[in-house]
Order: sequence, then structure tokens, then C-alpha cells
Amino acid sequence: MRLKQPIIAIAAVSAFTLAACGGSGTTENGNSGDNGDGVGSKGGETGQTLDETREGPVTIDGAKEGGTVRVIGASGLNTMDPTEAYYQNTSSILTSLITRAWTQYAYDEEANSMVLVPDLATDLGRPNDDFTEWTFTLKEGITYEDGTPVEPEDFVFSAARSFDREAFPEGPAFSNDYFLGGDTYEGPYSGNGLKGFEAVTVDGMDITYKMATPFPDMNYWGSFAAMGPIQEGAASDPEKYRLHPLATGPYMFGKYVPEKSLELVRNPEWKPDTDPARTAYPDSYQFDLQLDQTQINQIMLEDSSSDQATLTYDDVLDTSYDRLVSDERASVGSFPLTQFWAPDYTQITDINIRKALAYAYPYEDTYLANGEIAGVTAVPGAQLLPPGTAGRKDFNPLPDHEPGSTDVEAAKALLEEAGEVGYEIKFLYSKDLPTAVAVKDSIVASLKKAGFTPKPLATTSADFSTLRADPTTDINVRSGGWIADWPSGGSWFPPLLKSTAVDKGVLGANYSKFNEPAMDAEMKRIQTLDVAEQADAWGELDDTIMTDYFPLFVTSYGGVAQAHGSAIEGHFIDNTIGMPTWKNIWVNS
Amino acid sequence: MSGLSVDSLDGPQGDGEGQEKFEEPKAPEQLAGRSPTRIAIGRLAKDKVAVVCTLILLVYVALALLAPVITNLMDIYPDQKAPGSPSPSEMLDMGGLPSFGPPKYPFTWDHPLGIEPRTGRDLTALLLYGLRTSLLVATLATVTSTIVGVSIGLIAGYSKGLLDSILSFIIDFFLSFPFILGALALAPIIATRFGADQDSLRRAELLSLVGVLVIFGWMGLARLIRGQVLSLREREFVQAAQVIGVPTWQILFKELLPNLVAPIVVAVSLALPGYVAAEAGLSFLGIGLTESPSLGKTVNSASGFFEVYPLYLWTPVITIMLLVIALNLVGDSIRDAFDPKTRR
Repeated sequence: MRLKQPIIAIAAVSAFTLAACGGSGTTENGNSGDNGDGVGSKGGETGQTLDETREGPVTIDGAKEGGTVRVIGASGLNTMDPTEAYYQNTSSILTSLITRAWTQYAYDEEANSMVLVPDLATDLGRPNDDFTEWTFTLKEGITYEDGTPVEPEDFVFSAARSFDREAFPEGPAFSNDYFLGGDTYEGPYSGNGLKGFEAVTVDGMDITYKMATPFPDMNYWGSFAAMGPIQEGAASDPEKYRLHPLATGPYMFGKYVPEKSLELVRNPEWKPDTDPARTAYPDSYQFDLQLDQTQINQIMLEDSSSDQATLTYDDVLDTSYDRLVSDERASVGSFPLTQFWAPDYTQITDINIRKALAYAYPYEDTYLANGEIAGVTAVPGAQLLPPGTAGRKDFNPLPDHEPGSTDVEAAKALLEEAGEVGYEIKFLYSKDLPTAVAVKDSIVASLKKAGFTPKPLATTSADFSTLRADPTTDINVRSGGWIADWPSGGSWFPPLLKSTAVDKGVLGANYSKFNEPAMDAEMKRIQTLDVAEQADAWGELDDTIMTDYFPLFVTSYGGVAQAHGSAIEGHFIDNTIGMPTWKNIWVNS
Repeated sequence: MSGLSVDSLDGPQGDGEGQEKFEEPKAPEQLAGRSPTRIAIGRLAKDKVAVVCTLILLVYVALALLAPVITNLMDIYPDQKAPGSPSPSEMLDMGGLPSFGPPKYPFTWDHPLGIEPRTGRDLTALLLYGLRTSLLVATLATVTSTIVGVSIGLIAGYSKGLLDSILSFIIDFFLSFPFILGALALAPIIATRFGADQDSLRRAELLSLVGVLVIFGWMGLARLIRGQVLSLREREFVQAAQVIGVPTWQILFKELLPNLVAPIVVAVSLALPGYVAAEAGLSFLGIGLTESPSLGKTVNSASGFFEVYPLYLWTPVITIMLLVIALNLVGDSIRDAFDPKTRR
């Protein structure tokens, strides 16, 4: 029972938990060049296209009803409470199959893109001029799985619930960050119920959210399960609700063993004509989780007759990838993850040394060591914004450097120019993970060749993120990863590169300790711009920061390579989150 | 360690053993100068299994000792950090499998046992250095645990009363400790204490592994020795020594110890393979060595590749198996040879 490396599915969907994503201690890198960018652009958009006219029901040509889809995976479902589900698997299973919210993503097969469409709301929400108020209108006739109608007040309660960081420590905290009273109201379980909660008001079927700070991305936050309806009362007690959240979507909970297995059966109360994105062809879903990675790989490779309706949302092993592709049973896609190496801006002050690191980093070797498939599950690149983000600009801060290639000679030349040959590079790695040790070895080998003096600092995977988050740890490079919650530059630059009070021990996710007041001001300015201009402004800022300051360099973007049995149809990749397009899946028996 | 001293010390208490020798019905003309150790060695030399296994062990030891020479000659590296070592991307295809040799390409003499997927290290070099680690750890652990076990067993058995009770309690106490848990608890402590420097981390890991193996491995021998000493203590030659005032340490180490050579040699020969397997097992679990090559580590990483690259797993498994079997069989033969009641 060796401790397994936290795989990305375990890691996190969001910016908030997302720090866990670099938890393996390292970022991997991809193959050089040619296929890199190709795959990236193939990934398509991650939801920046909006389509508020779309209406249900949705049908797929030739799809058949019936069958049971078996889903196998290595990581368990840590909580299925809609307010707290914030991992890739829990979040996407809930929002796609079980619970509905204001908005949702629909998969556009032609463009291989995700499009934001309405769900329980009649449109995508109506903001006021400065995005401090958003109004959604609830569709008529929506009911829970037990037949009770969904009331507008249920949205008030769910919003209040999403403030509760004590009852839901792992949940997303956007309500606290943006909603009115986010810093004072502590949630309905703090003792006072809904008293003092003023952020949401009801007027007939209209529900209005009031913000403390302008929140142009509320329509995306409205797609989270946390923003769906939740009934006030005993049924939604946090201890119980995580075991059986009331379904409004096409499936509801059958037998559920927390973490381990989950059966989903049809919800007779789901009305397809109110749903512009979900289809529900399979009769049921059976999730069998916490299986061994090699076992999953074996089941998927063999495709035996009993496993043909099986799919996995874990990445297939690099060694089986070619065969699954030739069998046409691989589902390849991307998701908005950027992994990077962040040199300490306060210690490595010479930009040439930081650039030399980017040349010397063994992208390809670390991909291999990590079992990544270059260009598929790890895509090299130069911009902080991953492919599929609105406003992403095509530029390269190191014009002579092909993203994903290693050039120790160029690194050496830069180091000599800076007069710092033998510069010490101190970074963390988890010594209990064989892949992390292999990655560390390849980094040490490559940095040595480039004239650096690598000094890896051993730790364990349990302590890794704590040590990395501590600004006083004796390292001068931190590896990190970031996943966007929605396709806007606003979810990238402020958390990653805005000055933090490092001297007071606050690092946050600013792993490079980047501290440039001019750039802070620029971020502030962009956030107050008109929404239409913001996307391009973030793209420009990406260029400015990377070219002028080079506080970090990208080691890879995220990609997924999942597998499905030969009877599964419609298994594409939801590239907002790197999970299967549950809404499109059917069984071809 | 014992063979030489036994021969030279054999004289003084030849008395005590003479009778046992007379029960041996062989070659009467040689009766005069043969100690039990000589007899045992003579028996071993006639035991074909023992001879073959000893040869295998000698080959293993030679390979382990010559590992740097062999890898130098073949221009292969167990560690990609070594200067001159090729980088993983030069050795591997995109899917992580080797670009030379099995499983996708024909055999090549450059890398007779293949290349490790994902890291691109040569498996021959890994095997040689892994063997080195295994034998080093097992030898250190055996020697240390034998010294500790024999000393405590001698003292406990010879001292009557309170000291014996205390030592016996300590033996029982350590026997009740869960071995794997101890090893698990130690791993993060070492990472925190020595994590900053790779060389000292490697040494600390090696020594702590030996330490763990010794701490949880000396009790069996200590009990065995204590039992033996309890019976020897009442024999005439010991009482005679006590009467003429021989110091206690001299009784322990000059009177009692030489008579315990047989059980010690047997225990040592059976402990060695146990430690080899334990090192591999701990490294397989990820709580043994992380910075040094180890056969257990190779087995661990190879287990996921069995489907596509069986040779990767077979080589270390067969190597460990042969080593452990050979050590065990030699151990068995030594026990038989020392035991006068065995008839072949």
C-alpha cells in the first residue's frame, strides 16, 4: 500500500484549493515544439462563448437510451455536498448529472469548445452597469427529486450556505470574496441563521445578488453547484446533505458509499425541455473509485465484453496511450492548468538568471519522469494564460527559446553574462514519491550542465505544500500550478502575481514573491475596465509582465488523456475542467 | 568473525568437547586435531548445494564490488546526475519507453538488460549498484545485530536475577514493536533533518535503514544465546573457571563465546537473506532508500510496466530471488554441518 502520488484529479479545480495541484512537487514539461501548440489550440475555448438563447430538450442523433455507464477512477469523491464540491471530479459530476444551477456549460462538438448556456435561469443573468448587482430569473415548474418545487428562496439559502467557511472549509470562497457582507456574514450554521444576510433578495421569480466589489464573472460563478437551489431545513444539514444532495438534474443518488462508490439512477422529476445542455441516455451510472492506477489501466486496455461500457477520468499511462489512440478509445483534451517554476523575485533579482533557468529547465526529461505524454497531458508554452483563455496573446518572452526545449548552452551563456556561474538553485521535492525523485534527478542533471549549483531540499508529500507556502523556507525556486475557475484573466494575475505581504509571512499563491507596484496598479486598472476590453488587457499584461520582469516560466499546460470502452459514445473532454462531457455520454450496446 | 578465534581458543576447553567428538564415527586416524569448526567446514565442502550456492554468492559479491569498474567499462550510468550520463530524453521515446533495446527494439549489447522507462537509466548499472546497496545494508545490519544480540544474550544468560529479568523484558519489549510502523515513522524525520544536503541525506537514509533493521532484528539471536548460556553456565569448565577466579568478562568471551560459535554462525547465515529481503521490501514500500539505487525500488517502479516491458521486472526479481535462496541454502547447510546429530 504505497502512498500514491496525488494525481491531478485529486488536486483541485480551483484557484482556491488549487495550490494542491503542484503537490507532486514538480511540474513536468512537454515535448519540444511541433505538436505542442497544435494540441493547445485544438483544446478549444473554455467557456468564453455565451449563448443565452439555447433551449431544451437536447438530443443526439443516433443515440440510444439505456445501459449502465461504469466509471472507474483512482481518487475518491471527498464530499458531494454542492456547497463544498470543489475538486474536478466532485464538481463536474454534480453539476453535469445531479444538481442544476443558474448557468451551465454545453459541449460544442464541432468547435470542440465549451459554451456557457442557461440552466435553471431563463438567461445568463442580467448585471447592472458596474456589475454590483446580478439578477437571474428562475424557470417555471422545476422540482426536486422528491417532487417538491424549487422555490426562489432556495437560492437565497444556498448563497448564504456558500458563505460558511467553517461548515465547508474546502468549498469555493467566491461568495465571501465578492458578495455583499462577504467579510461579516458567516453562514447559516454560525448560530444566527439567515439573520444579517442581505446579499440576495427575491422578487417573484427574480433573484438578485448584490456585490460588495464589482463581479463581472457572476454568470460563471452561477454555474457552480454551490449556486444551485438548496432547501433550508433539516434535509440540508451539512452532515447529511453530503451523503444525499437533492437532485434537480437527470440523475439522483442511489447507493452511495462515501469516497468509494456511487450509483446514480434516473430522476423522474427532471424535465428535459427545461434543460438546454443535458441529455440522459444511460439508465444509470456506477462509479467505482479508489482503484489502483495500474488496475484501471489494465481494465481500459483489455476492453473485455463486461467492461465495454466503462470509462475512466484518470489519465491513461503513457505506455498505453498509443494503443488506446489506435483503438480510438482515447479522449484527449485540455483544461486551463498552467504549471510553472517561480524563481524567488526577492532573492534571484537578476532577470538573466531567471531566464537562464527557463533555458536550463529539462522540460522533456521531467515530462518523461512524471509519466506525462508530451504534447498531450503536458503541453509546453510561454504564456501564463493557458490556451483557451479569453484574450490570450501569442508572444514569447524568450525569442530564441522554443517553448519546451532545453538549451543548456544558452543558459550557460546567460549565466556567464550575469557573472553568476555556479549560482545555487534551491527547490523542494517530495522524497517519498518515486516520480518526484526522478523529476528532481533530471532537474539536477540539467541545471548542473548549465552551470547552476542545484540544491534540492527533500521533504515529504504531506509537508510539501506547507513548506512551499512558507515564505521563510530556505528555497529560492517554487514550483506551482494554477487552474482557472472561469476563462478570465482576472482569475490568473491578481492571485498569482499581485504583491503580497511577504514580510508578514503571507505568500498566498504568489510563489515568485513578485512585487512590482506598477503591475499591481495595472491589474487594478484592468479590473475596472469595461468587460469587453478586459480580456485583451489581461493578454497584454501577460506579455508585459513576462517580457519585462519574467517572474516565472511555464513548464507545462494541463492536458488529459482519458480512455473509454468501445461501447461508450460521446466521451469528449470538458476543457473547462478536464473531465468527461457527462452530458453527452450514451451507451452503444 | 569467529572461525579464527575459535581455532586458537579451542585448546583450553577441549575437555568439554572431546566427548562429543568421540561420538563422530568417522576417520579415527584424524581424531587428534579436529575442532568442530574444522569438521563443519569439511562437511560443507562435501555438500554440493552449499558449494554451488557459495559460488553464486561469490559472483554476487564480486559483481557488487566491481560495479564501478564494470559500469565504467560499459559506459553506463546508474544515475542521470553523473557527469557524462545521457539525459532521459536521449534514451527514451515519447511514450516513456526506451529508444534502444527491448521492449520495442532488438537487443543491444550497449544496454544488455535494457533501459529504465521514464528515467532512461541503464538497468545493468542499476542492478549492479542495487546489489551493492542490498549487500552493504544486509552485511552491516547482520554484523551489528549479531554483535548487539550476542552481547545482550551473553549478559542476560550469565547474570542471574534482576539484570536477567530486565534484559529479558527489553528483549520482549522490542519484539512487540511493529517493525513497519517504526520504519514509516522514521522516514519523514530523516527528510526534515537531513533534507538539505543530498549526500548526507543518502548516508542518513542508508544508516537509518540499517538502524531500523538492527533495532528490530537483534532480539531473536539474543534469546537464542541467552538460552544456550543458561545451560552452559552450569557446566564444569565454567564452574572451574569461576572457582579459580577468572574475571567475568573473560568467562563470557573466552569460555562461553567459543562454545556458541555454531548457533551464531547459523543465525548469521539465516539473518543475511532476511535483511536482503527486508531492504528490498522497505524500498518497495517507499520507506527505505530513495537516493541510492535499490533492487526493491526497481521492482516497485517496474511493477506498473509488466504488461509492456516484462524484462524490467524480471531482472531484479530473479536477482533478489537467487540471492536470497542461495543465502538461505548456504545457511541451512552450515546449520546441518555444525549439528552433530545430522546424518547425511
